[in-house]
Amino acid sequence: MPNDLLQNPAVQAGLAPLFVALVIGFVLRNTRAAWVAIIVGYATFVALTTGFQLEPLTASRKVLLIILAAPVAGLLIDALDGRRALAVLAAVGAAAASVWAYQSVLQQKDANAAMLAGGGVALFVVVLVALMLRLRGDGLRTGAAGVGLGLAAGVSAMLSASIGGFMAGITLAAASGAMLLVQIARREPIAPGALGALSIAVPAAFVSASTFNLASLPWYAMPAMLLVPAAVLWPSASEGGVLRRSFVLGVYALVAATLPIAAAWLATRSG
Amino acid sequence: MQKTLVALALAALPFAAAAAPENFTLDSYHTYPNFTVEHWGLSVMTGRFDKTTGKFTIDRAARTGTVEMTIETASVTTGDNDKGSRPRARDEHLRQADFFNVAEFPRMTFKSTRVNFGGDLPSSVEGNLTLLGVSRPLTLTFERFKCGQNPFNKKDRCGGNAVGKVKRSDFGMKTAIPAVGDELALNISFEADKD
Repeated sequence: MPNDLLQNPAVQAGLAPLFVALVIGFVLRNTRAAWVAIIVGYATFVALTTGFQLEPLTASRKVLLIILAAPVAGLLIDALDGRRALAVLAAVGAAAASVWAYQSVLQQKDANAAMLAGGGVALFVVVLVALMLRLRGDGLRTGAAGVGLGLAAGVSAMLSASIGGFMAGITLAAASGAMLLVQIARREPIAPGALGALSIAVPAAFVSASTFNLASLPWYAMPAMLLVPAAVLWPSASEGGVLRRSFVLGVYALVAATLPIAAAWLATRSG
Repeated sequence: MQKTLVALALAALPFAAAAAPENFTLDSYHTYPNFTVEHWGLSVMTGRFDKTTGKFTIDRAARTGTVEMTIETASVTTGDNDKGSRPRARDEHLRQADFFNVAEFPRMTFKSTRVNFGGDLPSSVEGNLTLLGVSRPLTLTFERFKCGQNPFNKKDRCGGNAVGKVKRSDFGMKTAIPAVGDELALNISFEADKD
């Protein structure tokens, strides 16, 4: 019976990451390290599905390594007082990592197509990471963006013939939702710093980039994803208590998330 | 004495020719790797790959041989190419990273390590199947292996069916297990003309 439960996709990508992230978030709620809950939630999903095998080092496994490295980079940036130059370096580093991750896919294309796909994905990654790093002082904006990005990446992946991408996106939304709940229960935001920002930005960017490179996500769904962190930057969402702000920011993020989902849906209607 | 030796050598020539390895090239229009897989533990679904190339060598006298086969993974079909009102068709999904990941691994290959004979013809072939960058041993047993003559070009021609089993999870293809079964039963129909 427990094995049956752990083989259920709703448990693997939803309940288990939500529960684990809630526990970690609550335990570490008085520290910025609480945001490590996002990646622990993600790692739970990986442990329950594909596992951590890294041989052969395929594009998907390189992506897993990059996602697991994101909080480490975030902790380093935070330890060095979150200097702006380091944030820029993190965004550019993530973009460079995307070229490394999808190298084996790009090699199958002709030079022009490879340049367009590789360059486009790198640009998307750098902008999404930079936008999320702009939110790093506000735990509610970061959490809401995580929910929106996770749902956008997940549902658009499902529409693009990727069950793996769907589950990864839902995992990110569940873990980010857990961090919103922790802050609501605490009645005070927890500053995510670069740790929280990168723990959300990197999985969201790479889940969508993988769905584009390895499944059928249309390219125009990726720029549409950028509207999610942009929406939660809206100034009017800075007033009120934690619960009210979480609700308002959540609505902004979800409304913005419908655009990349609509883009992916439109692609299913053509061809 | 010299004349006798020459006569013996000439008499032995046909046997030498028969003992030579024979090379065959797979006829892609009559070579299809088929597979079956359980779905939800209820039915057994069938699929196949439409594009396969390769060659094999058999040496009946030495009872040895080699087999090399390359399968284009994008040619997978299960009879569901039309998505209709759904977002995607099953065959499109099978080509994505959840299953055959054709964008990263457009080909799977089989290379023999040993050909076993039963009588004059091969009975099974042992080798390695490489799929998704992972190589695993696979034994294909010939349910049928016959040779004759191509009626059109009069070339020697062999064909048959080889069966085997693989676990897709061994190659890292773990999506939807156990809803879509882990074990794939292979049945490769093949025909080849002698070079």
